[in-house]
Amino acid sequence: MSVFFAVAAVAAVSSFAAEKAPSKGEKLFALTVRPLFAEKCFGCHGEDPEKIKGDYVMTDRESLLKGGETYGKDAVVVGDGAKSPLYAMVLREEPDFEMPPKEADQLTRQEADAIRDWIDAGAPWPEDARIAWIQKNHAPGVTVKTSGGLNDGWTHRRYDPAGLWAYRPVKAPDPTGLGEGLNPVDSLIGAALAEKGLKAAPRADPRTLIRRVTFDLTGLPPKPEEIEAFAAAAERDAEGAWRDLVDRLLDSPQYGEQWARHWLDVVRYADSSGFANDYERPNTWRYRDYVIRAFNEDKPYDQFIREQIAGDEIDRGDPEMLIAVGFLRMGPWEHTGMSVAKVTRQLFLDDITDSVGQVFLAQALQCARCHDHKFDPVPTRDYYAMQAVFATTQFAEVDAPWLPEENTGGMEEDERYHRLRDEANEALLARLSEKQREYERAWFAEKGLPYRSRAEAKKAKAPAKDLPPGKLFRTPDEFGQERIGRKWDNRFGWEFDRYRPIAYTVYDGKTRTVKAEYNRLEMPGDPMKEGELEKTAILQTGNPFAPAAPVKPGVLSAVPGGLDTAIPDAVSGRRTALADWIASPENTLTARVMANRVWLWHFGRGLAGNPNNFGSTGKRPTHPELLDWLANELVTNGWSIKHLHRVILSSEAYRRSCEHPDAASVREKDPNGADYAAFPPRRLSAEEIRDAMLAVSGELNPEMGGIPARPDMNLEAALQPRMIMGTFAPSYVPNPRPEQRNRRTIYAHKTRGQRDPFLETFNQPGPDKSCELRDSSNVTPQVFSLLNSEESADRALAFAARVLGESNTPESAVERAFRLAFGRAPSAEEAASALAHWRECEKLQAGVNPPKREWPAEVVREANEENTGKPFTFTERLFVYEDYVPDLQPGDADARTRGFADLCLMLFNANEFVYVY
Amino acid sequence: MKTRREFLHGLNASLGGVAFTGMLAREARGATKEPHFPEAKAKRCIFLYMEGGPSHIDTFDPKPRLRDLHLKEFTREGEEQSAMSSGKRYYVQSPFEFVKAGQSGADMCSLWENLAGVADELCFYRGLQVDSVNHPTANYHVNTGNQFGGDPAVGAWVNHGLGSENEDLPGFVVLPELAYPQGGAANWSNGYLPTSFQGTPLRPKGSPLLDIRPQPGTTLEHQRKNLDFLATLNREHAGRHPGHEELAARMKNYELAYRMQTQVPDIVDLDREPAAVLEKYGIGKEPTDSVGRRCLLARKLVEKGVRFVQLYAGTWDSHDYIAKAHGALIPAVDRPIAALISDLKERGMLKDTLVVWMGEFGRTPDNGIRGGGLAYGRDHNPKAMTVWLAGGGVKAGHTIGATDEIGGEAVECVHHLRDFHVTLLKLLGLDDNRLTYFHAGRFKQLSQFGGEAIADLIA
Repeated sequence: MSVFFAVAAVAAVSSFAAEKAPSKGEKLFALTVRPLFAEKCFGCHGEDPEKIKGDYVMTDRESLLKGGETYGKDAVVVGDGAKSPLYAMVLREEPDFEMPPKEADQLTRQEADAIRDWIDAGAPWPEDARIAWIQKNHAPGVTVKTSGGLNDGWTHRRYDPAGLWAYRPVKAPDPTGLGEGLNPVDSLIGAALAEKGLKAAPRADPRTLIRRVTFDLTGLPPKPEEIEAFAAAAERDAEGAWRDLVDRLLDSPQYGEQWARHWLDVVRYADSSGFANDYERPNTWRYRDYVIRAFNEDKPYDQFIREQIAGDEIDRGDPEMLIAVGFLRMGPWEHTGMSVAKVTRQLFLDDITDSVGQVFLAQALQCARCHDHKFDPVPTRDYYAMQAVFATTQFAEVDAPWLPEENTGGMEEDERYHRLRDEANEALLARLSEKQREYERAWFAEKGLPYRSRAEAKKAKAPAKDLPPGKLFRTPDEFGQERIGRKWDNRFGWEFDRYRPIAYTVYDGKTRTVKAEYNRLEMPGDPMKEGELEKTAILQTGNPFAPAAPVKPGVLSAVPGGLDTAIPDAVSGRRTALADWIASPENTLTARVMANRVWLWHFGRGLAGNPNNFGSTGKRPTHPELLDWLANELVTNGWSIKHLHRVILSSEAYRRSCEHPDAASVREKDPNGADYAAFPPRRLSAEEIRDAMLAVSGELNPEMGGIPARPDMNLEAALQPRMIMGTFAPSYVPNPRPEQRNRRTIYAHKTRGQRDPFLETFNQPGPDKSCELRDSSNVTPQVFSLLNSEESADRALAFAARVLGESNTPESAVERAFRLAFGRAPSAEEAASALAHWRECEKLQAGVNPPKREWPAEVVREANEENTGKPFTFTERLFVYEDYVPDLQPGDADARTRGFADLCLMLFNANEFVYVY
Repeated sequence: MKTRREFLHGLNASLGGVAFTGMLAREARGATKEPHFPEAKAKRCIFLYMEGGPSHIDTFDPKPRLRDLHLKEFTREGEEQSAMSSGKRYYVQSPFEFVKAGQSGADMCSLWENLAGVADELCFYRGLQVDSVNHPTANYHVNTGNQFGGDPAVGAWVNHGLGSENEDLPGFVVLPELAYPQGGAANWSNGYLPTSFQGTPLRPKGSPLLDIRPQPGTTLEHQRKNLDFLATLNREHAGRHPGHEELAARMKNYELAYRMQTQVPDIVDLDREPAAVLEKYGIGKEPTDSVGRRCLLARKLVEKGVRFVQLYAGTWDSHDYIAKAHGALIPAVDRPIAALISDLKERGMLKDTLVVWMGEFGRTPDNGIRGGGLAYGRDHNPKAMTVWLAGGGVKAGHTIGATDEIGGEAVECVHHLRDFHVTLLKLLGLDDNRLTYFHAGRFKQLSQFGGEAIADLIA
């Protein structure tokens, strides 16, 4: 069979029994070759005589065999597909005639071979009626009942059943067949290994295991004492010690911080709006903390879904619910004075439709925005039906009292600095207003008019010619500073909301037309009073100004039960109904999607390779039964994520060594590591590298939650001027004291337009698109960041001072440093070369008088001013730096400590520090 | 962890052999890759990004009709109203005189004193249209083909397609102004392409690359000793993990970084350039110093084998006072850009270098009156703009396309930005339809879903 595997060939219908059974060639043509020609070739070789390329027409047999200007009648050698240039062309092996020209349109190998086989069979070309009959009665593949496409062809098209795996009910394998006493994870993985004749690697040693699982569950390295205790316990009772370790880590609050980070990658968390203004979103941190709490409390995943999609509908009176539903607004979005309201509203609707699709259902729905989905059974009608669920969803920032579990510490001090900044800006504006008044007085005096101000003249109804034209500033500085002051006044005012119990949330109601969004959006007293009750329709080519057929709220119709799922079209309750459908145990996507994510975050690869795309273009599951078994475990254990961790972590697969005794045959038989014969090593993530350095240096402040922390950032990057709409963005300024800065990275302020270069270079994903799997590239800027940055130097010096404070001899200091950084003692050779290096560095350091570092109390901005065309300067005061308490500085340390810090810096840079096995 | 190799293997598993072998073959060809169109002349590109949206009406597209309409009321129709386009609006004439420059008689406002001297090297194009009216989305659109950011920039695609001519330098270098443009570093993102294709900004002040020097007090000799100790640690470690290929790659990066620490500051240092060269680019003088330095640096970088250099100059966002704002900007870029063109020509490099001059959109023929009518500017206009090309394979000495009589909308040889992207790639020997990357379940390309080259722009 050609493209599709012979699965569900539909039996011939008896009324056509009189038709002669089709030959192999006829079937190939009707079912594969003719549709391929139509889709990929006729655009340039058929339909439109104007557009025919190379004088080659392919719409009938005679023309096809006649050939075009280059190959003539040799294009197709009837009876010998392999010799036909047409076959080489579609294989893209014919130089300059790779067909179709677009690489993105290329045929699969099976499709190309179908053309070859058809030519081999004599290239039969039946009448259109017979083609239709063959298509109707002999097509392979299966149809999928949906709400219907834009045309019948799409509605009745057939799918390769293999690509529909995620729409089939979850079928957990019968546990009795999984082997006595074995963890089902291992039985299911073992079966595939055995099939390939591969043996699993032995279990990793306890020291490797505790480092692996501690980083995995908490994002931090294990302490040396924890390692020793575990190694000893494991010797007595390996299983018991492992269980206890996993329990301890899952119970630690750092677990929630690490696993919330994974979720925030998927939902694109940030503290700013992105785009032109990149306004701070002063209250999104409450959502970040909600997610951390949810993981720590092991909130049932179905409830986690409901709260994020419909928290406000579930209970508007519960602040937690209002915070949770902030999920709907996590994407970048803004509405400026230049924006067209309908367009920006549509951007939100498209964004949230696709986001819900990717995050919870692993469906790339944006493909169905302009047309029925090309590959998956998702009609554009479904896309807009899902979108209709959000048609009454409106943005608001509303009062929501602090929860007892929320950290409101540090607000007073942070607000004090923010106020200083705001007051300085107001003082600038006041000075400029005074100038304006002075210039107005002068203007009227010069004209001999009896007024002192524009306002006064207006009040006296002076004619327009007797009114001064707007701003009368005289210098570029006055014009330029006034503009910055005005823009910042607006920003700073909004940013005070950071300290107020406000939830960044939504409500149901009519869509109001907002001119531009530059301040907190309050909820109207009556959400139904003002604005338009949106009526969702299919939008032609996704254009909000081109609505076609109206649609009612609904869900994905290809998912079993989807067609029968009713979403109310009342103003309120649509999202609750959608959330209920997503969070239902019967939804074939939801539990699989989350089980797959959890697996991926443990193993670095998904069972299904595209966690955001379970459609036919996503990678198929390598272990479908295992995925289903895990999905079923999740659902039948109260949607407990921690249960899933325990199941996975107790498997042998998780505990295997990275080193395989027969590495060569693993490389040969399983080059991707998809069989889990050995455990895959991984590089620490950006956040883990920074957090681990802080943990090892002893500086990490474990305080949880609260308004975003401001760690030190490379000073040049922090003060890098950057443009926002019409002006400069205010500078990034860190917190004044080390313990405030040295918090875990998940708490660092995340501005879309100003990423921390250290984190960015280590592949922290940009918060604009959902990240299903982080990259871990290996590029030179990482070297500069880890080797040369102040951040690394500060950590290394603190690490050195800590170790020297805890050790009595050089030998014990070296050992302690290795144990803290690598979780093991150095070998004799390592210890010797470390000691030698330390001695050498100490000598070098003795000759250095460390330059005293200065922090800028102000920064000067320069730019061309628009009204005058001349350059102007603006001085921004950085109040925090007036009180800034640095981390331990080289000037405060002796040469011995600084020399040891050289060694410590190299430990941070070592491969052993940044890789986990 | 996902490595490149693994990625390719994954692709093999999911796609069948055809695409995969093609990619491997190209990989195996080493640093420089064969272009799709071997006849293409341009091998590298200098992209002069006029950030903020220069006004075509006040630079290269004279509209005498606006003289008659000046300050008469303007009405805009259609439903795509924004807060800014509502209210009373008026036609606004250009405050500048226009001249015919060169043998080709190219239209330029008279402030382009130096560029007029190389007018015959330029190909002006007035038919381009874009989608977005806001700066960051329009910047993303021009740079990545996608309004919402996150996709690979043109420079990343070109490096993906043509490979690197100098393995010790990044293939895609960005020369930003002191202030980063709206949308920030996502304007030179590698998107879903491998990180090595990311644009590397060389900062004009301070450290050209962040953290490129060791901390003060650490000499290079001292650092060498540190790195030797690091190598000892890493060797021992690699011995325990023989199958882990990333380890060696990471060690190699430390050595490359060590060399770059001295090389990059040398390239950036313009002090040793001959006085005549500095003079030619207007370096050391206002208002040309800033753009002049970066134009000269752009030339030096492409000479060293950097494939794609993007230089930012702005901001051309003159809402308030076009006469003053554009009146100051044009002289700041005129001399340096003219120097760059003639310098490339004298060195025999213009014939295989593509130079692009464009902003993210054009500007409107109308404006709301501010400041009592004395000062007027122009708002954003995605429907009309002027861009120009110079160098390898470009139809020099021509003006292609036209806008309507007020410069409100392109009316001749009108093309969407995606066609322009296809054209740029074609001039560089690359076929947008073949320059693809498999990501998230489908083949992706710069133009998003294909386009046609604008034949009129190609010699």
